[in-house]
Amino acid sequence: MDPKLIDARGKRCPLPIIETAKEVAKMELGQTIELLSDDPATQNDLAAWARMTGNQSELIEVHRFKITKLS
Amino acid sequence: MVPITANFQRERPLHPEAAALLERIFERGWADPAKLHLESRRAAILLQEAKESLAGHLGLTPDELYFLGEPALGFHLGITGLLSPESSLIYSGIDRQEVMAVAASHEQTGGHSQKLRVGLLGEVEAFQSAPTDVLAWQLANGETGIFRTQFPRGQHGQIFCDATSSGALVALPEGWKSALWEATAWGGPAGIGIFGLAENAIWRNPIPHLDGRRVPGGFSLPLALASSVALDHHMAEISTAAKKLQGINQEIRNFVATEIGECDIAGTISDTNPEILSLSFLYIDAERLLTELDAAGFAVDSGSACSSMNLTPSHVLAEMGLLTGGNIRLRLNADTEPTAIAEFLKTLQVKVAALRS
Repeated sequence: MDPKLIDARGKRCPLPIIETAKEVAKMELGQTIELLSDDPATQNDLAAWARMTGNQSELIEVHRFKITKLS
Repeated sequence: MVPITANFQRERPLHPEAAALLERIFERGWADPAKLHLESRRAAILLQEAKESLAGHLGLTPDELYFLGEPALGFHLGITGLLSPESSLIYSGIDRQEVMAVAASHEQTGGHSQKLRVGLLGEVEAFQSAPTDVLAWQLANGETGIFRTQFPRGQHGQIFCDATSSGALVALPEGWKSALWEATAWGGPAGIGIFGLAENAIWRNPIPHLDGRRVPGGFSLPLALASSVALDHHMAEISTAAKKLQGINQEIRNFVATEIGECDIAGTISDTNPEILSLSFLYIDAERLLTELDAAGFAVDSGSACSSMNLTPSHVLAEMGLLTGGNIRLRLNADTEPTAIAEFLKTLQVKVAALRS
């Protein structure tokens, strides 16, 4: 099954991070979701959010991120 | 409302001694020191005294020190003047935009540049430099306050030092060739830069010129004198002020970490200028936080995209991998009353909680 997709295109900081965090809070450890975001701050801030909260994020294509719940 | 001493913005009031003397200096220091009249000779003596005092504090000789009416011009003078067509300009990703502009200009004329990556704590990646290379070395970062006190060994390049934020707090590295200070770093007036050019520097004036002068002469003599007075007092007060600032800085760090949480705090207390504190709160719109704090009487700065004119996040925070959203920057004053700090922290906690909910 494809991971759940959050479409936050057109939304500015910090909304893409907030929407991601809300979704991750509902997930089981090891589960993944994807985020679409074209905010220029998202790539850096999603990585910072992952570092600060003990989760993992990666850029899989332009404006598309994969998030894995690790904590 | 909290009084002006609780202003946490980058700009700070002129040192009281400099402010008090500035009016008198304008009366005494109006003449052109290059002319031969009595008043001019008096102005020349005042200027020389200021140069000697500043040079003593900043670690160069008076003959190596020049005043600039436009401080940012010093980046061009200091870096471009050392560059040759064979040079590679080496700089870091958290340098000031003026350095990056010089790098872009160097590349446009066929030169090469290398941007060094910077880690979470402000550490610069390892690099090698040849004797013809020019290395732009920031002694302290203006946004995060992180010091660079250790210059990497084994480098052969020509060193330009950006001391615009460090002031006199960080010594010039051995072998420096050019340097730039801004008087605002020590409570001096805005609009005056201090440019250092080592006697042994191989430097060519990059600005079109007809005579042998090394910098444009258009600076305000009273502002130059006031910058010297301010640095004298700053140095006399620095040890007492530094202890108080470290105490305030640590108090804010502790409170934010334990009572607010989910905050990226730049640098550690031991390796940053205690006057500066950069805090990035998760899930916070910085513009709204700034507005809320302002309404409560606290003025702070921000490096977040949503609070900047061009909607791009702080290149410094992004380069270091720190959270760029929800960022506020505090400029701390040693004379800020503990009650103002306590009131600020309480307000910050309430506003962050409200915005997160």
